Amino acid sequence: MEQIAFTVISAFTLACALCVVLSKNAVNGAMCLLLCLAGIAGLFVQLHAYLLAFLLVLVYAGAVVALFLFIIMLLDMQGGQPWRLRGFQAVAGVIAAGLLISGLDMIALRGRTAGGAPAAGEVGSSLKLYAYQLFTTYLLPVEVMGFLLLIAMLGVIVLSRRVSNEEDAQ
Amino acid sequence: MTPSLDSYVMLSSALFAIGFLGVLVRRNTLVIYMCLELMLVAATLALVAFSRFNGTEEGDVFVFFILTVAAAEVAVGLGIIVALFRARQTVQVDQLDSLKN
Amino acid sequence: MNPNETALLVLLVPLAAASVITLFLGRRPGAAAALSVAAAAFVAYGALSLAFGSWRGGDSLQWIRFGDFSVSLGIKFDDLAALMLSIVAVVGLCVHVFSLGYMGDDAGKSRYFGGLSIFMFSMIGIVLADNLFMMFIFWELVGFSSYFLINHWRERQSAADASKKAFIVNRVGDFGFILGIILCYWTNHTVNLDELARLHSTSALAYSRLIPLLLFCGAVGKSAQLPLQVWLPDAMEGPTPVSALIHAATMVAAGIYMLCRIEVLMVASSLNVIAWVGTLTALYAALCALTQRDIKKVLAYSTLSQLGYMVAAFGLGSVGAAMFHLTTHAFFKALLFLGSGSVIYGCHHEQDIFKMGGLRSRMPLTFWTFTVAVAAITGVPFLAGFFSKDAILALSYERNGAVFAVLALTAVLTAFYMVRLWKIVFFGAPRSDAVSHAHEGGFSITSPLVLLAVLSVVGGYWRAYPRGFAGVFSLIPEAEGATHAVILATSLAVLAAGAGAALGFYRTDGTDALQARFPSVYGMLTLLRTSFDTAYEYYVAKVQQRFAMVLNFIDIVGLAGVVVRGLAGATEIVGFGLRSLHTGRLNNYVYWFLGGVVILWAYAAGVL
Repeated sequence: MEQIAFTVISAFTLACALCVVLSKNAVNGAMCLLLCLAGIAGLFVQLHAYLLAFLLVLVYAGAVVALFLFIIMLLDMQGGQPWRLRGFQAVAGVIAAGLLISGLDMIALRGRTAGGAPAAGEVGSSLKLYAYQLFTTYLLPVEVMGFLLLIAMLGVIVLSRRVSNEEDAQ
Repeated sequence: MTPSLDSYVMLSSALFAIGFLGVLVRRNTLVIYMCLELMLVAATLALVAFSRFNGTEEGDVFVFFILTVAAAEVAVGLGIIVALFRARQTVQVDQLDSLKN
Repeated sequence: MNPNETALLVLLVPLAAASVITLFLGRRPGAAAALSVAAAAFVAYGALSLAFGSWRGGDSLQWIRFGDFSVSLGIKFDDLAALMLSIVAVVGLCVHVFSLGYMGDDAGKSRYFGGLSIFMFSMIGIVLADNLFMMFIFWELVGFSSYFLINHWRERQSAADASKKAFIVNRVGDFGFILGIILCYWTNHTVNLDELARLHSTSALAYSRLIPLLLFCGAVGKSAQLPLQVWLPDAMEGPTPVSALIHAATMVAAGIYMLCRIEVLMVASSLNVIAWVGTLTALYAALCALTQRDIKKVLAYSTLSQLGYMVAAFGLGSVGAAMFHLTTHAFFKALLFLGSGSVIYGCHHEQDIFKMGGLRSRMPLTFWTFTVAVAAITGVPFLAGFFSKDAILALSYERNGAVFAVLALTAVLTAFYMVRLWKIVFFGAPRSDAVSHAHEGGFSITSPLVLLAVLSVVGGYWRAYPRGFAGVFSLIPEAEGATHAVILATSLAVLAAGAGAALGFYRTDGTDALQARFPSVYGMLTLLRTSFDTAYEYYVAKVQQRFAMVLNFIDIVGLAGVVVRGLAGATEIVGFGLRSLHTGRLNNYVYWFLGGVVILWAYAAGVL
């Protein structure tokens, strides 16, 4: 049962990923990314990481992809020739991607026949345990993340000011 | 029967490679950026799979941070792209080659 | 002040005088001349007081050091150095005083006196040097001073050519010299003369045939032996006092002095070679002198011949005989040159002897002193040259009969051409206008002549010399009994034959009797004289010049072109290649990323 669910969801995810890469329209690509993220969220659920699935949909699919859509529509490009996957670059790219898959798999799967079974203990599904870890063992990274977000915010504010504004403000 | 770890790893690597393919062949900066995000998500999938199959929560917590960083990165990156568009009036990478020799 | 300091001052005062003249007195010729003469007087005083005093010794200062190898500068003052220093000082002072009169109205007077002082410094350096490296340094300095002074009238092309020739020919000899020094250092690990003597006395010296011959090359160059004798006649382009000091009495004698210094390194086979080189030089030079017209060139060939005598004496094994002849030769040859200088000055710079004549009555003092000198060089009994030449003849009679025969023949020729010169210059009627108005020079010209004439007369009585020179003069060979009689008879016969023939043969009518009556002989002798120059010229123009052009080609095409520009070009190409990687396009950079990652993975997976 789980195997079938896994197969379906992973196929769906891979198809959406391919659509993201191969779509001519950027907005279409963003939509496909959204669906892809949904698929990944499903896979997270299957791995008993419920909080993360939720976070993924909320943060990634909700905020990040939305932002992408905003920007795509803001930079309203007419763009001359529509893009198509062909030519020497395409072949090289496919070969490169193939190399990547084979390389990763060779290293990750070396010396093992069938994969291992999942370990005992439903660690990931316990929200309490998760939060406990966040506020004790991983407290420092959490604080650093706070800083990071602050700096990102500042950076974006600085970046988005127009050049003439700066000169006027001086 | 649950899928084995190997299948999750292979799926993650396939998603990663597809994202990489997108970075290689697309010319629109925004689409390249979306493919970059796809690669990140593939990595998080692998992390979660390992965390589940090893029985610890470290992988999950790490994904939490990856998510945060990805969000911050997208914000700043898109800000840069907008500024770039204002300066060059284009976001096609083959026209943004002022670092050429 | 103690003797060590006196010796050091004797060395350094001429250098100081030269520096002051160069830096400050360029436009004040009178002051320059006075300073230089004062320095020469101080040197004479210092040298004589050291020589007559009883201090013998030395001091040394380490100058450069590389690990085991070190070069030191020091003073070695023994009897040999005392003798040589006295000669240099006395003759130097005479020449300085003579120059006051001779170069009185010369345009480059300060330059000239500066050069004289530098020469005194360099020559005293050679005399006082206690190791071969230091001697080589001053050897080169003396060569430079000679170049500088020959080239004094530098607007003349002939003077410039002569000075260049002198320096280059000397350089060829010095190349052998430095090879000899290096070889000596390599085999004996020292070039200090005292240490070499010590090693010799304890039989620890490493002998080889090559070292003395290479060191002799230096003497061949400096003392103008065959085959490097070509520079000395040309060096007469310099002013006459320079010829007297440098090319008669002191610098050319430096070669002999150096040979005496390195006597401990000699082996029998090298001594044989040295003796024959000296003998052949003596004969060759005497033959060349027979056809000369220029008064100074005759004296130059005479110097070559007498230097040959000295080298032959050393080659036969006697330091004493060589140094004795060096001493007497310094006196009478300097007198001959200064006398000829007086003649040239009086005749308003006329140098061709066939235009002179009748100077006996017009320049009496010069005539008498010149006569004393001619008598001394030809070996008139009881004058200086008689004793020293006899010592050499006695030595050669005992050791090597063939050398004795050649040297005796050379003595005949010596008498012949010297009397020829004497007769043609001073006797008969004046053969040109300038000569008929000749007159004596002033006190500064005549007083050195008188002093040197006195020394030429008494200089042969070596037992009368101060005890300070005993170390050298005690080595003079004394002929005994039958040998004594043979030598006496030989020298008298030689004198009579040569002088009589010349007196009878030559006329005082302005023609060269040899050329007129035996033109073929005259032609052959002239050919003999110019043969060396022709050979060298051919070699330089045809062989050396072509070789130099080949090297030039290799340099321009090979080194500058291929190596230097080629390397630069290769770097440029690499740079160009690397630059083309910067396309500025993101996609290409990502491909490079992938390439790096693949290599890392392959390595990690053990494939690579």
